Amino acid sequence: MKNLRLKSARAALDLSQDDLAKACGVSRQTISAIEKGDYNPTINLCIAICKTLNKTLDELFWEE
Amino acid sequence: MALQLSVGLLFGIIVGLVIAFVLLKMANTNHRMKTEYDERQQLIRGKGYMYGFYTILFYEVIMMILDLAEVNFPIEHYTIHFVGVIFGCTVLCIYCLWNDVYWGLNNNKKKYSVIIVVCIILNLLPIIGQAANGTLVQDGKIGLTTLNIFVIIMMAAIGVAAVIKKLVKRDSSEEE
Repeated sequence: MKNLRLKSARAALDLSQDDLAKACGVSRQTISAIEKGDYNPTINLCIAICKTLNKTLDELFWEE
Repeated sequence: MALQLSVGLLFGIIVGLVIAFVLLKMANTNHRMKTEYDERQQLIRGKGYMYGFYTILFYEVIMMILDLAEVNFPIEHYTIHFVGVIFGCTVLCIYCLWNDVYWGLNNNKKKYSVIIVVCIILNLLPIIGQAANGTLVQDGKIGLTTLNIFVIIMMAAIGVAAVIKKLVKRDSSEEE
């Protein structure tokens, strides 16, 4: 399932996938894979993404 | 003669490893020898190593059966196992390329590309030299140059895979 919340949170901060990837210490393809729902990140990476985007885990990764 | 060849090979491998160590340190952006990968890359590369291992396993079994059947190859016997290693590496590289995990986080692609071109030239030189001298095939068999030939084949296969991947790449662009 696509993670559109992550994509919109990133876009809201005017960050590219590459910017977010560098801030989290991963490759751009990994951020792309998470946004497309092709890869389930570990909790450590989820936290790193949340901290970079100033969001909580629930806001970005909790599925209703 | 066999001892001389073994010592020569061992010396060559040691020199090769030292050169690889220096080149890797130069080619990585943080000047570390070890290439760094993120968690997704490590996961996929792990599968790549698995497929590479199975390839070598399968190859060795096939070669053992063919050896028992006394099938002769136009290459020297001592190069057969190394060819299997090259096949395994090829599978690993192509799998990684196909899944966007070939390049690590600290790789400088331009410097690596230069190293790859230098490697291709270094492997082509003995082939061209021996072919020009007419010593490539002796007693109906290719000697140590077999390794250079298969390394070139591996690099060509990786190159073709990289081009195909680039052509069919749709899902990793920024827009998606």
